[in-house]
Amino acid sequence: MHAMATTTCTEKHGEITVSTSRFGQLSVTPEKIITMTSPFLGFPGSKRFIIKPHGEESPFLWLQSLDDPKLAFVVTQAAILIPQYQPEISAPVRQELQALPEHPLDILLILTIPRENPEGMTANLLGPVAINPQTRLAKQVLQDPTRYDACWPVFTMEHAE
Amino acid sequence: MLILARKPGEAIAIGDGIKIRVLEIKGGQVKIGVEAPAEVMVHREEIYLRIVEENTRAAEAPADLSSLASVFSTDKTRIKPQQSGK
Repeated sequence: MHAMATTTCTEKHGEITVSTSRFGQLSVTPEKIITMTSPFLGFPGSKRFIIKPHGEESPFLWLQSLDDPKLAFVVTQAAILIPQYQPEISAPVRQELQALPEHPLDILLILTIPRENPEGMTANLLGPVAINPQTRLAKQVLQDPTRYDACWPVFTMEHAE
Repeated sequence: MLILARKPGEAIAIGDGIKIRVLEIKGGQVKIGVEAPAEVMVHREEIYLRIVEENTRAAEAPADLSSLASVFSTDKTRIKPQQSGK
């Protein structure tokens, strides 16, 4: 299963079945597909993703690529992890996501989880993912590096309230 | 690499939609103005590379996150379980 090299998509009854290296075959309804207006930096070949909850009680979500079976990020809702986090989303970016002024965007943070040391988990506050839930368009929106860290430690006792 | 000499005020056109203009040279620093279509991302290289690096590291997550359960039970963080899926 891990040796799968290509994504195979087969469509039937409106559902798309996608092969993934981590989760095997996934059935996806087209309305659930999230489209990147520009791909994640470093992964130019992946534009379509789905969100797969890690578990009912888990704050983690998987952002699984439909274009690359091996590509998946662990993400969490910024509002859950850091309620006071307010990334800057400019008007052109909102336009790119086709967001009307009254539409709030979902902000996801990508987590980096060291294999041997999950407690060393960090969140990327420099490159949050903004998603317009109405259009399901998304973009990684780079922030000011003097304000935000790409490796913000999730587990510390010193989080500012 | 194509190398072009430019004076302040002069520009380079890349394709139809991108212009890179030297605005000012002062104290060992060059101020550059970039005009590009909205869909073309323009970033300082070091920030671009930082994000590429972090995205690449993040993409190596294993499918099994069960090891995280123990991390959360230690109550060292303010992370709370989500009420329901999106």
